[in-house]
Amino acid sequence: MKTFAELNFPGRLIAVEGLDGSGKSTQIYLLKRWLELQGLKVYFSEWNSSELVKTATSKGKKRELLTPTTFSLIHATDFADRYERHLVPLLRGGYLVLCDRYIFTAFGRDVVRGCPPEWVRGLYNFAALPDLTFFFKADLEVSLQRILDGRPQLKYFEAGMDLRLSADPYESFRIFQGRILEQYLAMSTEFNFVVIDANQLVEAQQATVRELVTQRVNLASFRSAERGPAKRALDPHRKSRVRETVE
Amino acid sequence: MKRASRSHIVVPRRSERRFYGHGVPRVDLDQLAGKLIVVEGADGSGRSTQIEMLVEWLEGSGHATVQVGLKRSTLVSEELDQAQEGNILSRTTLSLFYATDFSDQLENIILPALKAGFIVLADRYIYTLMARDMVRGMDEAWLKNLYGIALEPDTVFYLNVPPQELVQRSFAKNTALDYWESGMDLGLSRDMFDSFMNYQTSMQKTFRHLQTTYGFTIVDGMRSAELISAELRKKISAVLAGK
Repeated sequence: MKTFAELNFPGRLIAVEGLDGSGKSTQIYLLKRWLELQGLKVYFSEWNSSELVKTATSKGKKRELLTPTTFSLIHATDFADRYERHLVPLLRGGYLVLCDRYIFTAFGRDVVRGCPPEWVRGLYNFAALPDLTFFFKADLEVSLQRILDGRPQLKYFEAGMDLRLSADPYESFRIFQGRILEQYLAMSTEFNFVVIDANQLVEAQQATVRELVTQRVNLASFRSAERGPAKRALDPHRKSRVRETVE
Repeated sequence: MKRASRSHIVVPRRSERRFYGHGVPRVDLDQLAGKLIVVEGADGSGRSTQIEMLVEWLEGSGHATVQVGLKRSTLVSEELDQAQEGNILSRTTLSLFYATDFSDQLENIILPALKAGFIVLADRYIYTLMARDMVRGMDEAWLKNLYGIALEPDTVFYLNVPPQELVQRSFAKNTALDYWESGMDLGLSRDMFDSFMNYQTSMQKTFRHLQTTYGFTIVDGMRSAELISAELRKKISAVLAGK
């Protein structure tokens, strides 16, 4: 597998990964704002957000119809749709593409659900690797607390209830997230994750992120010719940014 | 006569079960007592007629049956229809969407029915899905990994009917050719008739290629429905007897 840079795409892809509640969505949002305010060509894409696939996914989740295999396949479908229709064309067109979760989310989560690792990796082998992947590593307890503080009700699949780890959703969620963390840590070296200490304050993390992006990406080449800074009011992700991206 | 036919009910022998690849998690293959019979072939090859006749025969012989087909899952079939209508999904996406539909039916219908000892008749299976994608340039190794989730059927029939005849059957039935069955999305030709012939020819070639891997029985679909059915029954009887 190669990165987009290695495949000679003019664009670059930056991904964030981490457990629910690790703060990664906040960080990529702040990164996006910073890049946009510099007048750069930026596109943001979120896991499980393709319009067409979404209705099927939410139906499956609501009715608790999904098996580990269909769960994996439906998310792969969503990813493929975004990849082929948005990510690749934009990267060909020289955009900086920011992804809130990438294939590693599937590599971790689907394997914890019992899908064979080789099968899952095979599904996604049409996708190139990110040019930069930030992994937000928070203590399990910190991530858990952030999610549990904000949402008293845990959803069925989000808590990994389908795995029958525990009859108690909170206990199930803890075990499930713990196992996903193990998967992330195991992938960290293989996929060159840049590990960010997510126990730090938001600003400290963002400073590290911006510094690394500046070092690794030639930002000047992403300046859009005539356009000024992107307008805040038109940003579709602004309002919905907080905490609804779990699962 | 009644007595005789009752005593002639064949209790199917167990067959050795395996998945083509990694399979799906949490399935005990030893528990699948039923049989999985697949009928493949292009639209107009006589699949539904044959399946109908098989159901009659099987039920008459004391076997419980369940029918499955492509795009019938509760999970994604509506969305698949929408996607096809708009022709908006790219190849990998459509391919994965179909695989989701397949997996949903495999896990929620086929496997439970087999566990309950039913004879499952599948109106097409992974081979049509693979052939369609391969004709559209998808990687065969990728598809084999993807459909490694599939259970190996007890027997697979491919009803072989040449494109020249398929086109006539389609006209006789609808006086029109179907957009997808003509492979119009491939842009082979703007002439729908030419496109249909080209596309169906490539599909047949691909099926013959897949046959070398998956070893299905190629059935001459140009004969009468009764003659074809007799051939299928003979093979299925052998499967039930554990031969």
